[in-house]
Amino acid sequence: MFDEPIRKRGMASLTPLIDVVFLLLIFFMLTTSFLQTQSLSVVTPAPSAADLPKDARVVEIWLNGDGSIAIDGKPIERAALAQGLNAAIGERKDITVTILAERGSRTQALVSAVEAARQSGAKSVGTARVEKITK
Amino acid sequence: MIEFDEEPPRRQFETLVPLINVVFLLLIFFLLAGTMTPAENVAVSLPEGTLNDREQDVPTTLIVEADGFVWLGERVMDAKLSGVMVEKHLRDTNTKRVAIKADADAPAEAVLQLMEGLREAGVEQVTIMTERGS
Repeated sequence: MFDEPIRKRGMASLTPLIDVVFLLLIFFMLTTSFLQTQSLSVVTPAPSAADLPKDARVVEIWLNGDGSIAIDGKPIERAALAQGLNAAIGERKDITVTILAERGSRTQALVSAVEAARQSGAKSVGTARVEKITK
Repeated sequence: MIEFDEEPPRRQFETLVPLINVVFLLLIFFLLAGTMTPAENVAVSLPEGTLNDREQDVPTTLIVEADGFVWLGERVMDAKLSGVMVEKHLRDTNTKRVAIKADADAPAEAVLQLMEGLREAGVEQVTIMTERGS
């Protein structure tokens, strides 16, 4: 009459468990992100480039529209920016670094320039956008 | 003659156990190691950087796409016009802290225009999100 095997019951419940665990695994694999973001605090720019100081205590970083970067008119590679800026500033402590972004320059260059300026120990860092850098 | 007294059907279950173990381990790994981030409307590839100011829990995030358009939540606007919109949002939420997620290829002009708009809205310092460079 009752010839269903009782032993089998314990084993049969494993398959749905595995299904659920797989589903959870796939869910977490898709929704989690391992990207570590950093944050960089930047002072908001001056209303116009004309408001920025222009004297001997200013080092200008030019972000040219073609993607190239220059410090006070001398072209420099992006990787060597911090080094070049340190050389331009030297030992002085009262230097203001001004970053001029020409139309066509990219955010990556801007971020690199801001970071280089911060690392160089300049007293203040200013940013402004210009249509065309006048040499 | 040699006799085999192993039962083949049982073997199948035995091989399943290490698999379940591994899957459980992976599950726990993803649970602990991953961070759940709310999905954003647009995907941007952040610029690379080295500095980290560790600003956390910035309430407002603005996203600047590679073509220069600015996203604030569901709304999208041109960088030139973004100031007014952001100002209203900041007034509504009563905060001055803003994070900018800009694409590495976005025009620097758009980011600066946005930051000018933010300055007019009374924001002195913004947080630009970057990715750890290689």
